[in-house]
Amino acid sequence: MADVFFIGLSLSSILLLVALGLAITYGTMGVINMAHGELVMIGAYVTVLCQTHFGLHFLLCIPVAFVVTGAVGYAIERFVVRRLYGRLLDTLLATWALAIIIQQAIRLEFGAAFAGLHIDGLGPGLQNVPIPSFFRETFLVGDFVVQPYRTFIIVLTIGLFILTWWLIFHTSFGMQLRAVSRNRGIASCCGIDDKRINAWTFAYGSALAGAAGVMLAGFKTVSPSMGTPFVIDGFLVVVMGGVGSLFGTLGSAVILGEVQGWVASLLNDVLARAIVFGVIIVVIIIRPQGLFSRRGR
Amino acid sequence: MLELSQMNSYYGASHVLRDIDLSVRSGEIVSILGRNGVGKTTLLKSILGLDVRIRGAITLDGEDITARPTYLRARAGIGYVPQGRELIPDFSVRDNILMGCYARTDRRRLVPDLVRDMFPYLRDNLGRRAGLLSGGQQQQLAIARALASEPRILLLDEPTEGIQPNIVEQIEDTIQRLNKQVGLTIVLVEQNVKFARAASQHFCIIERGAIAASGVIDALTDDIVRRHMTV
Repeated sequence: MADVFFIGLSLSSILLLVALGLAITYGTMGVINMAHGELVMIGAYVTVLCQTHFGLHFLLCIPVAFVVTGAVGYAIERFVVRRLYGRLLDTLLATWALAIIIQQAIRLEFGAAFAGLHIDGLGPGLQNVPIPSFFRETFLVGDFVVQPYRTFIIVLTIGLFILTWWLIFHTSFGMQLRAVSRNRGIASCCGIDDKRINAWTFAYGSALAGAAGVMLAGFKTVSPSMGTPFVIDGFLVVVMGGVGSLFGTLGSAVILGEVQGWVASLLNDVLARAIVFGVIIVVIIIRPQGLFSRRGR
Repeated sequence: MLELSQMNSYYGASHVLRDIDLSVRSGEIVSILGRNGVGKTTLLKSILGLDVRIRGAITLDGEDITARPTYLRARAGIGYVPQGRELIPDFSVRDNILMGCYARTDRRRLVPDLVRDMFPYLRDNLGRRAGLLSGGQQQQLAIARALASEPRILLLDEPTEGIQPNIVEQIEDTIQRLNKQVGLTIVLVEQNVKFARAASQHFCIIERGAIAASGVIDALTDDIVRRHMTV
């Protein structure tokens, strides 16, 4: 019982980490970033590269990936998304194109493949990331088997959720962000530099995706197309929770992760996924504004 | 203090304001009058650079601000109280006021004493959600938000529109106090000719996107009002 619940919770954590970034970029800025999954993938590759080339400790890869994907996100906002504000479908297409470009860049090793060079850790193949031994050794508390790596994912996710909540509701940056997301025009009339706020918000949402990528690299094989399914999952979590509601995203990630975990343990993984989608469809029909949202969108 | 010269404004392809010349002197109230839909709100939005494209020149205290983005114009000292107030309904009264502080030159975040003195209701209800306030209180809050940035000039867009009659007088009194006691320069978009006459030193009537008449307030005769404002 407890371990099924626990596995569900760790699935929820990954969902939440991916969705949290989207909840910010989509929920507060109204930008659909189809390249979000690729930012997760970049986070995973940062881990691969840091380990193979610099021998960096797995834990240290988290802040590195956070900064690298944040910087990539900042650049995406600055050069692509910024020029398309208010044009939802154009943004969707442009970021989708970016997603494909990023995937191919990894496959072609940023062009080095054309010159016959090979960079270890890149290319079309699969990569494996070894996690530190203290994450692999399970131990018992009573009859409950503690899996340290999954526990770590859950703790890190809770930490990042609290950080995000604090950033949005208890800092000056967060207040400017909330003001811009409610009423961009009047926010700028109050002296708020809306473009700067948007760029940093996008960078932060991207950085969260990067952190998710590191965690994923620890228990899934890393490949150029690994991020694609996550953008779908992430959007489903955000929409089911209620767009613009941080706690809605948390709640719906927990629900979907648990449903997946329980059905998978009772039946099988494929059926679990079908049932997760079924739950989402029912929720969206009954509550189109999302489970936890006060206002519709 | 504020000078518009040969200013033209466009929303996309439509040309809304034509060759506007307007000069606002320090410490005075200028009333912008005209029928609905002639471009009065667009005039204020052009001064702020909000959603409109402009040609021509806008200077504030001799500095050319035409090319600056909206937030820098706000920081240069232009306060704005928009039509319909545009508060953030789920922010508290305090947060709505603090929002205005981002345009302060010292970047401090506080509820100014001036706001506490002028609006005792707001002072006593800082934790209340703005969406729960009455129309008049919301109007006070919108003015308070603009004052929080310590502006040099205040743009007010129909501040008494949609407010119950017994509160209208209170708002009008506030505007006059801000001008006379605090010394704020004000550009006031109004429909109420009587109040415009009582409060302002100059007027400017807009018709079909161009200035139809302007001058000192004594020159605003009943004849001009009849010609340009009666529906």
